[in-house]
Amino acid sequence: MNAIIALSLFGISNLFLGFLNNRKILLPATLVFILIALGLNFADWNHEYYWFNNMLKTNNLSVNFVTIILLSTFLVVAISRSFGDDDEHSHPAEYYAILLFSAVGAIMMVTFENLIMLFVGLEILSVSMYVLTGSDKRSLRSNEAALKYFLMGSFATGILLFGVALVYGATSSFDIHGIAQGVAKAKEQMGGAYGPLLYSGVILIMVGLLFKISAAPFHFWTPDVYDGAPSIFTAFMSTVVKTAGVAATYRILSISFPSVYGLWGNPLVYIVCATLIIGNITAVYQQSFKRMLAYSSISHAGYLLITVLAKRPETNSSLLFYSLAYAIATITAFAVLMVVSEAQAKNGKADESFEALNGLANNNPLLAFSLTISMLSLAGIPLTAGFFGKFFVFSDAFSNPSSLFKWILVIAILMSTVGIYYYFKPIIAAYMKKGEVAKIELSPLYKFILILTTTLTILLGLAPDLVKNIF
Amino acid sequence: MNFWYFLTALTLLSASMVILSKNPIHSVLYLVFTFFCISGHYVLLNAQFLMAVNIVVYAGAIMVLFLFVIMMMDLSKNSPDSKSTLTKLAGAILGGTLLVILIAASRKVDLKDVKPIDAQTGMVEGLGQILYRDYVLPFELVSILFFVAMVGAVMLGKREAGERNF
Repeated sequence: MNAIIALSLFGISNLFLGFLNNRKILLPATLVFILIALGLNFADWNHEYYWFNNMLKTNNLSVNFVTIILLSTFLVVAISRSFGDDDEHSHPAEYYAILLFSAVGAIMMVTFENLIMLFVGLEILSVSMYVLTGSDKRSLRSNEAALKYFLMGSFATGILLFGVALVYGATSSFDIHGIAQGVAKAKEQMGGAYGPLLYSGVILIMVGLLFKISAAPFHFWTPDVYDGAPSIFTAFMSTVVKTAGVAATYRILSISFPSVYGLWGNPLVYIVCATLIIGNITAVYQQSFKRMLAYSSISHAGYLLITVLAKRPETNSSLLFYSLAYAIATITAFAVLMVVSEAQAKNGKADESFEALNGLANNNPLLAFSLTISMLSLAGIPLTAGFFGKFFVFSDAFSNPSSLFKWILVIAILMSTVGIYYYFKPIIAAYMKKGEVAKIELSPLYKFILILTTTLTILLGLAPDLVKNIF
Repeated sequence: MNFWYFLTALTLLSASMVILSKNPIHSVLYLVFTFFCISGHYVLLNAQFLMAVNIVVYAGAIMVLFLFVIMMMDLSKNSPDSKSTLTKLAGAILGGTLLVILIAASRKVDLKDVKPIDAQTGMVEGLGQILYRDYVLPFELVSILFFVAMVGAVMLGKREAGERNF
């Protein structure tokens, strides 16, 4: 809660810092702001608080989610390099302020106790993302992506609101625990049946949320938007937005609607399978590294939804571990992609294809090594964090007694092997393909972040219990 | 009750005219009319304040803005349809299915314990109580949403030197 207030104020002060005409001060200031918010976040550790008439609830689970969100924001801000030196075309004060505000939205989405809060948080996050997607005003692709994201996202929000209204009609409550009671009461009154309002409401809420985490069949916007947005904001979108979205989906499904599992579980089975198959198979055919990462983020939404679907007591910690492993690896991949694509720019346009990585290892061993570790982690190769992320998710699915999960597991494991194929493409390009990438000068902070994320990925792969015990 | 049927029919008619009319100015005018009809529904639901706000904000401010934008854009030349027949057909089937499902579901709705109407519900006093007491946190945090939208609009709308690609 304190983190929300602090981040809102810091966002505003960031805008004022923009008046100083000194863009070098913004990056360290934003990093300090995020660290302070992270510290304030831990004040809620080991307490269970309800804030402002049950609008928010903080407990250890929410503190953990907020930590992952703020950590991802920190890493993304750290690799932003003050958005270049172009005073005319980039506005770092605004970008950093909007990033801080969107972190507020993400925090609201993981701590909400009332559907109104979920809606406001989701909108803050989405509106920030619409703006940041279109922030590269001179690029036609960025403009197209922003418009596409805005139109589709507004419709998804409308559908979510419609669902919220219907659920309110069925249970006469916006409170997520109140909804659970309303559902139980409806079951009593109607002798085992639930009102049709509830049915439609739950499905529509689910559609709205699944759109935001880009699960199939609501994923069509993802490749274009991720591809068109500036890489740094794509990194933010595919980590923070996804973590917050999955956390919100899990929160509402597991707290409000556990007694109507069949209602949301059955469609979710098909959604999970479709997400895994479409995300992974389509990723194979991509020529662009950035677009491949977009499809990879779709497929990871599928893996995360498996454990939401499995509904085990361990689901909390599996979700947290997977989100953490995925966020760290994705940010590393984007960090490498950003510097390499700019160094390989053709006609002033960043080259984001796999060919841009050819021969990266010759002159830039650190970049190539970080890229390798992050790709191995995303693919789920042992001794990386991603392996244990997948391991925990799969074991949740395995320990669910329903035989349906065996089939989901078969699909998930098959699709992981498909994943290995396309995650190795950049590694092969970097180490084996002939090509020339000039030595890329990295700032000390950039180097530090690359080493930090790579070390974390390996560390979590060797000793997952380090954080698993906390979660 | 009869008035409700009349108003609902009018709302649905004008709402469908928004998407059916070829001329965008007509669309906007129908949309204004739809907002008035919805305000009528608010009155029937005893929410007078919402009715006033809806007319002032939506029918008044936002729609006038809409009209300005449409007048400034040159819409006289008809752009060719970009969507193929198959896409349109698929969209129509999907949207129609959702409509059928929602109608089928709401036909069976039986609201047993609806609270009896309280004449004070929709008054400013009751609304203020709820807004500033129960929902004070979302009310405050919405300001961040507007702030982001404002910062974003200024950032995206600011004129820059140099050429654009469009």
